[in-house]
Parts: sequence; C-alpha cells; structure tokens
Amino acid sequence: MITRRDLIKWGMVAPALAAGSQAAFAAAPQGLDALLVDERFPFDDAPLHAGVPVMRFAGDVTRVWYEVLDARWRERGFVLGGITGSDALFVLETLATHQGRRVVTRTPLAEPDARGVAPVSWVIAPHHPSVAA
Amino acid sequence: MATPPNMSAADFADGLSAMRSAVGADWVFDQPADLNTYRDFYSVLWGEPEEKVASAAVAPANVEEVQQVVRIANERRIPIYPISTGRNLGYGGSAPVLSGSVVLDLKRMNRVIEVNEDNCSCLVEPGVSFFDMYRHLQESGSKLMMSVPDPGWGSLVGNALDSGGGYTVQGYRGHFEAVCGIEAVMADGELFRTGMGALPGSETWQQYRMGIGPCMDGLFRQSTLGVVTKMGFWMFPRPEAWLSASVSVMRYEDLEELVRIANELEYGNIFNGMPGFSSPVLTQGNPIVMAMVPDAAEMNRMVEESGIPAWSFSPNFYGPEKVIRAQWEYVQSRFAHIPGVRFAEQSFVDLPISAEDMERIHKPRFGIPSLEIFNVGSRGYGDFNPSDGHIWFSAVIPRSGKGIIDANRVMRRECERLGLDLFMFAPAVTCWTRSFVLFAAVPVYKDPARNQHLREAVREIIDICAEHGWGEYRCPPAFMDDVMGAYSFGDHKLRRVNEAIKDALDPNGILSAGRYGVWPKHLREGRGA
Repeated sequence: MITRRDLIKWGMVAPALAAGSQAAFAAAPQGLDALLVDERFPFDDAPLHAGVPVMRFAGDVTRVWYEVLDARWRERGFVLGGITGSDALFVLETLATHQGRRVVTRTPLAEPDARGVAPVSWVIAPHHPSVAA
Repeated sequence: MATPPNMSAADFADGLSAMRSAVGADWVFDQPADLNTYRDFYSVLWGEPEEKVASAAVAPANVEEVQQVVRIANERRIPIYPISTGRNLGYGGSAPVLSGSVVLDLKRMNRVIEVNEDNCSCLVEPGVSFFDMYRHLQESGSKLMMSVPDPGWGSLVGNALDSGGGYTVQGYRGHFEAVCGIEAVMADGELFRTGMGALPGSETWQQYRMGIGPCMDGLFRQSTLGVVTKMGFWMFPRPEAWLSASVSVMRYEDLEELVRIANELEYGNIFNGMPGFSSPVLTQGNPIVMAMVPDAAEMNRMVEESGIPAWSFSPNFYGPEKVIRAQWEYVQSRFAHIPGVRFAEQSFVDLPISAEDMERIHKPRFGIPSLEIFNVGSRGYGDFNPSDGHIWFSAVIPRSGKGIIDANRVMRRECERLGLDLFMFAPAVTCWTRSFVLFAAVPVYKDPARNQHLREAVREIIDICAEHGWGEYRCPPAFMDDVMGAYSFGDHKLRRVNEAIKDALDPNGILSAGRYGVWPKHLREGRGA
C-alpha cells in the first residue's frame, strides 16, 4: 500500500525528473530503485553513471519489460522512475496496474508532437499489499 | 459507491462482504482509484454518463474461489463480468457491457497447467498471457510454437474466447479454431468440462475436441454463459524454416483469378501460412490504408504510369526448407499464365531464429509476442491526426476479388460521406480459416461530441454493411446490440436462440449481461439501459 510518506518522497522526485536529467539523477537515489529512459527524447547522459541503475529503450518497451520489469514487478517493492514518451507510459502503466502498481506522479515535459506523443516524467510504485515493500 | 442496477447499497455491500470472505479482502476492489483501472481506455463513451463502468472488481486465485464468487453473485443476483487480463483494447478492454457489473478479474489464475510436447498442446488458466506462455516455452526448451496476436500482452484464453487472431499457420492462427477442451464455472457455481474432459480419467481432453453429442465449446465464445477457468489449445511443432513470397499482377482484371487460385492453394494445404492480399498501387501513399479502388481503366493507367503492380498476393510457408521451396515453386507454376505476373521471394528465415533475424522479423509471425505496435502503429501512419485510441470495425466479406473491391468501395465511399476517419484499412485480412475480414481502425477521442458523431457513423456503417450481407465477427460493447441485430435471419432467430439458452443456463442473468447482444430476461426490454 502506498503510504503518505511514500507519496511525499516520490512527489519530491517527480519535479526533479521534470527539471531535466541532471536534477533527476541527482534526486533519484532518494526514492527510486531504477530509472527508465526513452532515448527518443534527448537528455544529458553525463550524470547517469552515478547512483541509480538506468535502463534504456527507444519507444518499444517490449524488451525492457520482458527481460527486467516483468520479474521485478512480481516481487515486493521496486520503485521505478522514468522519462519516456506518453505512448510508452501508457503501455507500462497498463502492465504495472496488472501487477498491483500505480503511476503515483506524472509530469508532461513538452507539448505533444504531431502524433500526439509527449515526453513525460513519472514514478511507478507498488500499491497493492501483495507487492508492497 | 456505484451499485449494480436495481440493487440497494446495503445488499451490494453484503454481497461484496461475502466475496471478501471468499477471496480475501485484498482482492476485492471498490475504491474509485481501483475501479479506474477497469475502464475501457479506448471507450467511445469515455466520460459520458453512459460509459460502461464497473461497480467493483474481484480477483479470485483458483477455481474454487471462482465457484464461491459465482454462487454469491447468483444468490444475490449481482451481475458479474469475467475478464482474463482485460487487454482487449479496441473491443472493450476490461470494462463490463452492463454498467454496475462486478468485474471478475481472473489475472491471478495464471498457471500453465501443462504443455504436452508429444501431443503438441497446452492447458492453461485464463490469466496466462502470451508473454507468460512464451517465457514458459523458452525456459522449458519447448519445440512448440504458439500463435500470438499483436500486441501480445493479452490472455490466450481471453483472446480465443473473443475470436482473436494471429499470423502463423492455418488452423492455429484463428485462436478459437485451435481450442480443444474447456472448463467453465456455470451460473449455478457448478463446474463443466467440454469434449473429452467430461469423461473422468480421459487422457484425450486436448486431442479430440467433440466428445459426444453437440459440441459445446461454442457456448463460451463471445458468450454470457460461463466463467472459463481452463482451456486447452493445439500448438504447432516449431518448423525448420519460414518463407514469404509474393505474386504480383499488373491489371485490375487479374484480381479475381489471383484470389481464386490462392484460395484453392490454401484449401489444398499447398501453403500453410497466413496469406496477404493487397494493392501496391493503391497503398503508395499510406501502406496501411488502401485507397478507393478506381474503375478498371483508371487503375490500369495508374499501374502503367507507375510500374507498380495492381494487386499482390503473399503466400507464407512454414516447414522444412526442401518442402516449402518446392511448394513455392508449385505456387508460381499456378499463376504463370497471367500476363505480366511477377514472382519474388521476400524473406527466408531458419528456425530457431538467430539474433540477427530477430532484429528484422515481424515477431508475431513466429509466435513471439511483442508490444512494438504501440510504438509504431497504434496511432496511425506518419503524422496522423492524434487520437486517444481506436476501435476496430471488422466485417466478414466474401473471399473473392469481387468481395475485396466491393467492400473497399462501399467502405471508402461511406466513411468519406460520414466524415469517419480511418487510420488503418485492409479489406482482406485472413487470420480466420477460409475468410476475408475487412479491417478498419477508427480513431476514438476523449471528446464526447466527436465520439457521439463516431458512434452514429459506425452504426450507419453497420447497417450499410448488413445490407450487403457483411456482418462483423467482433465489435466493441457500444455496438454489440447493433451487430447482433444485423444477424436478423428468421426474425432474429439467432438472438432468440441465444436468449433461450441464456434463460436456461443463467436464469438469474448474472453472467456478462449484454455481451454480444444477449441480455438476461429482466434486462431484455430496455437492452440494459
């Protein structure tokens, strides 16, 4: 179950994610277990090597979900932050919901493109008692 | 808290309390944030008072818990709506057809009970997704291949029950066609098995589909009659290779002959993979939307000026390389008499698939589930006007050249007249044995005014198709009554027989009320309103 304390903690992370990669990755260790970065949207890579593990993909979430997230989301805990396209977030949110997780914060980072896709920063955290840390 | 129709809050609370006792309090959901996850995110009624929403959701862990929940619902006349994983976007998602129903979410029943390598079959629970099964096959070193839809995030059972389709081998890619053996909890809570599953001690449940007497599997397709808790499937032995080829013809007039010969070859098992039919010259501007077929002279002029073929047929072959190359050679010989015909081998893949091939193939052709379509195709081709999802319009049309041309012209003309956008339009999809299904993806929005127009237009299209003898094989909940209404032979005898069966097997009308236009007696007059 998401506690009030959790929400406050992730609420602090989300604006940092929204502010850009530098602030996001500096803030990430406070509350996240991993970060997911959609390489369709350019970010400064320099700070990525310190702190939280970073997973990358380019629009299609199949591999990162199948190889990493599916297993991690079956276990307890695991708070995931991300900066991805809104289309990828839709898929991830649907899959996360199935495994007792919720998007607890989401912040659009730009206006949608011609296909309606916008970069979004977000945090997905365990919600159901069966997966709560 | 929302309640089912004609039920007091106190009675509903009592029912949910009993369900909590059956499945555990953590697995009954009645808070708005929980119920939001059971909405149909591609609903054509999004945000309107008529949007179909759940009053609660219950997630049992096993058959015994399903039986308890069904009995509780039956005693109290609480409508319940089973879903497997609820990922059927474009056809309703996880939302019920009757607002206020309790969604029976079977996601926790996710056991692969058996994969029988010798029998080439499996037996699964409804919460097993295509990804789950693929992982199971990979980790067990299986020599079997399954057929998957695209995207592949749904349930084997749910997809088959809704008549979903894949891209692989005839007899397997129409997913309900590959079903062999069903176990279901009926409305009275009793357990029922079809086929050889009805014979205690039988080892042939996944071998002989019929059992004795009427074949009962069909009772559960797109139905309101039971909660399917196990389902068997036939699976395809992983082939040694796959070959995809094309036969292209250069004249408008050649389509009829192209389809006629292709049909004969497929029905004679000369090729076994899913064939494709298209018009290269009419898909120049957008490869997933076929333009309106012009008259013969105009189309032939377009072909002559561009050098692009008028029509193409793409046979696909699964099997040993020696066999499928011989089959392809024979296929070519059958079309050789058509003036200007062109043949091409498009792709050849050895199995197991190499890492290099894995990067270039359309994975569902090889039974590999994927989510890539959400990235590349779900919102249209190129800079398509963005929408908030889509619904599918999918009518069965005659399997002939004339069938393709007639359906193309009628749909293009009427959609333009009605101002109905299409971001995918293919008049001859062949997932289902011996069928052409016209497929059109219609964008939906979060804007009630636009969706109201969309609903009115789609209802008109349903009627127009029915006038031509074309009926949808599957549809979103908002149109189920309309589509069932179009199957009107014998003063709607099909619907009336379905209703008679419904009344006999589910007299309290608790299961999936309204699904595919079949309503329980107490809701029939108002059709669930």
